[in-house]
Amino acid sequence: MKNSKLLKLIILALTMSMAAFVFTGCSGDDADTPKVGDPEQKAILVVSFGTSYNETRANTIEAIENKINEEFGDEYDVRRAFTSQIIIDKLAERDGLEIDNVEQAMERLVADGIGTLIVQPTHIMHGEEYDELMAVVEKYEGNFETLAVGEPLLTSHEDYAAATKIIKEDTAEYNVDGTAIVLMGHGTPHYANATYACFDSHLKHEVGRNYFVGTVEGYPMIDEVIADLELTNAKKVVLFPFMIVAGDHANNDMAGEEEDSWATQLKKAGYEVEAVLKGLGEYEGIQDMYVEHVQAAIDGPTEE
Amino acid sequence: MNKKKLTILLSLVMIFSLISMGCDNNDKTKDNNNAAISFIDDEGIKVDLDKPCERIISFYSAHTENLYTLGAGDKLIGNYKTGIYPAEAAALDMYDYQSDPEKVIAANPDCVIIRPFITRKAPEFVEALKNAGITVVSLYPETRDDFDEYIRRLAMVVGAEEEAENQLELLNSRMNEISELTSNIPDNERNSIFFESTEVNLRTVTPDSMAGLAIEIAGGINIAKDAEAIEPGSSIAVFGEEAIMAEADNIDVYVTQRGAMNCGGSLQSISERSGFETVKAIKDGRVYTINEKIISSPTFRQYKGAKELARYLYPDLMDSYSEYENDEIATREDMANIAVKMLHLPLWVPSSSKYYEEDYKGHTFGLFDDVDWRDDNFDYIETITMSGAMEAYFEDDKEYFKPDKEVTREELALLLITLGDFKSQTYSYSISDLKDCENPKMIQMVVDNKAMALNGSKFEPKELVTNQEIIDAIKIILD
Repeated sequence: MKNSKLLKLIILALTMSMAAFVFTGCSGDDADTPKVGDPEQKAILVVSFGTSYNETRANTIEAIENKINEEFGDEYDVRRAFTSQIIIDKLAERDGLEIDNVEQAMERLVADGIGTLIVQPTHIMHGEEYDELMAVVEKYEGNFETLAVGEPLLTSHEDYAAATKIIKEDTAEYNVDGTAIVLMGHGTPHYANATYACFDSHLKHEVGRNYFVGTVEGYPMIDEVIADLELTNAKKVVLFPFMIVAGDHANNDMAGEEEDSWATQLKKAGYEVEAVLKGLGEYEGIQDMYVEHVQAAIDGPTEE
Repeated sequence: MNKKKLTILLSLVMIFSLISMGCDNNDKTKDNNNAAISFIDDEGIKVDLDKPCERIISFYSAHTENLYTLGAGDKLIGNYKTGIYPAEAAALDMYDYQSDPEKVIAANPDCVIIRPFITRKAPEFVEALKNAGITVVSLYPETRDDFDEYIRRLAMVVGAEEEAENQLELLNSRMNEISELTSNIPDNERNSIFFESTEVNLRTVTPDSMAGLAIEIAGGINIAKDAEAIEPGSSIAVFGEEAIMAEADNIDVYVTQRGAMNCGGSLQSISERSGFETVKAIKDGRVYTINEKIISSPTFRQYKGAKELARYLYPDLMDSYSEYENDEIATREDMANIAVKMLHLPLWVPSSSKYYEEDYKGHTFGLFDDVDWRDDNFDYIETITMSGAMEAYFEDDKEYFKPDKEVTREELALLLITLGDFKSQTYSYSISDLKDCENPKMIQMVVDNKAMALNGSKFEPKELVTNQEIIDAIKIILD
C-alpha cells in the first residue's frame, strides 16, 4: 500500500513535469521571438535546381555563383543551395559533395548568426519552383534583420530586353537568312508559362521573326513551333536550350535521336537541324543579369 | 494496481500471439504428401500445390516477364510496378509490398510470387499474406547457374514444365549462336570492354555474374576480369576510377548499365568526368548504354543483352545484312532490319518503369497489334519505330506496323531524313510530282541532298523500293 502510494505520487509528478515541458515547448521564447542574427553578418544564398553533371555545373551554376562572389564576396558570404533533393542525394553518394537544400541552408544561416540575407534564385521565371522557394524562405523571415529575395531572370521589361540582347549577340553567328533559331524552354502548368510567349515576342520584335520560343512541357510545344516555322523561309533550324543548365532535357528532348525529340521532329518536317548544347547559365551576359538582380535586392525597392 | 493490470494485459497478448503463431506453424508444416506439385523455394520453404495456380500476383519484374514467356501471362492478375515487359504486363493491376497487404488479399490471389529480398525488406507484409492463407513462393536465382532451376520451379507454379524446357533450350541455342559467331574472332582482333555497373565508386560486375558471362559470350576481353565482389555472393565488383585510368589506353568499348537502381552513369555524365577524355573508348566515341533489364535481370531476354554487347564490340560482324543484298521488293520488316543493322542502332528498351504512365503522340513501345514480342524481328521493328524513322499505323484505336507491307519511296525518304544529317542546299531540284508527296518539304530535302534520285523529273512517292535500293540509300547517309 505504501509503495503503491509512492508510485502514484511519482507518476503524478512525472506527468506534471511533462505537461509543463510540453507547455513551455509550445509557447516558449523560441517561437515568439526567434533568434535574430547580427545584421553585420551578411550572406547571399544562391538557389538553383541543381545538376549532377560536373562540367555542366561548373560552366553554369558555379559560374553564376562565382560572378556573384566576385562582386559581393568581400562583404557577403556567398552560399549555395539546390532545390532538387534527388540531385543533392546523388552528388552526396557519388561524389561525396555536400549541398544544402533550401531548408538546410536557411537553418545553417540562422545557426551562423547571419542577420542580413539576400536569397538569389537562378530560376528563369516566377514559376512553381520560385513559389516553393518563397514558401520556405518566408518561414525564416523573423530570423533576419534584413531578408531580401532577388528576382528570377525574367521579371521586369528591362529583364526581357536585356536577355533578348544577350540572346541576339550570342546567336548572331547562326542568325542568317534561311535559318530559324528555336529556343527550348521547360514549360510549366503554372501561369508563369506566359513568360515564354512574352520572351518570344521580345525576340521577334527586337531580333527577328526567325526566332521562336517553345517548351517541352508547357505551351507552345514543338508542333506549334513547326506550324510557325512553315510561315517562314527557313530551311535550317538551330536549337538552343532556354534553360540555365543543358542537362537531360537538352540532350534528350531537344537534341536526342528518339522519335519525339525536337531534332527528329524538325528533320521530319524537312529542316536541316543543328543543336547547340549551351545552357543559359553559360552566357556571361546572363550571369551578369543575376549579379544585377542581387544588387537590386541589396538596394531594396526604389521609391517612385 | 496499474502494474498488475498491465502484467495481465501483456500476458494475454503474449498468449494470444503464441496461439496464433501456433496456428500459422501448423499451416506451414502441414504435410501434404499427396500434393501434385511440390518443391522447395529459395527461402527453403516447401511449396505444395494440388494444382497449378490460376490467380497469381508477381512481385518481381523478372517473374512477370518469365511467366509471360512460359505462356502463363493469362494467369497473372497482378504485377509489381517495375514489370513492364511484355507491354501487356504494364496493363495489369499493380501492387507493391510497401502498401497495406490487405489490398493484395482483397484481390484474392491463389499465389503470390516474391523474392527473398522482399521478405528481408518487408517481413510483416509477407507474413500477413501467409496468414491470410495465400501461397507465397519466393524465388530468385543468385547466379547464372541457378537460372534453369529457377525457371523450372516457376514453371511448376503454373504447370508449364514442358514449355520451360522448350524455352530453356531456345535460350541456350540463342546464346550459342552468338558465341559461335564471336569465337572465330582471332585474338589480335578482339576488343576490350569495361562494364560500369554503378556510377558511385565506378563499380563493375563479377566475371561470373550474368553480365560478366554476357561479356564472355560476346567475345569481349573484360578489362575487369579480376575484379572482386563487393561482398560474397554479390554480382557487383570493385573497380574504381584509378583502375580505369590505368587501363585508359586499352578500353576499346565502354558500356554503362542503366536502370532504376544503382546504375552506371549516363553518356553525358561519363563524357564530363575529369580525366575520362583519355579513355580510348571515349576518344573513339564507343561509349554505350545497356538497359539492366536485358543484361542483369534473370529473364529469357538475357541473350539480347549478350547480343547487344557483341554488337557494340564487333558491329560489322554482328550486324551483317548480306542476306538483304538482293533486288526483291522490300517489306517494312526488311527495311527495319536493314536500317538497324547498317546504322548499328542500339536496341530500344523502355528505360523507366513509369514509361506506360504517359500517353504518347506517336508509337508506344510494345503496342503493335501485329508484332509479337517473341518474334525475332520485334527489336528491329521497335527500335526503328522508336527512332521515328518508320511510323506506326493507327487504325480502330490500335497500332499496327504492317511488317509485310511493301516499302514506298516516300517511306524510304522518311527513314533517310530521320537517320541522316541532311544540309539545306542553295539549289533545289525541280520535282514535277511534288504535290503527290505527303511531305513535299522532306522529299525536296532528300532529293536536294542526292540521297534518292528522280526518275526524269518525278519522285514517284508511291513506287516500291528493293532491298538493294534501301542499302544503297543508307550508304549515302553513312558517308
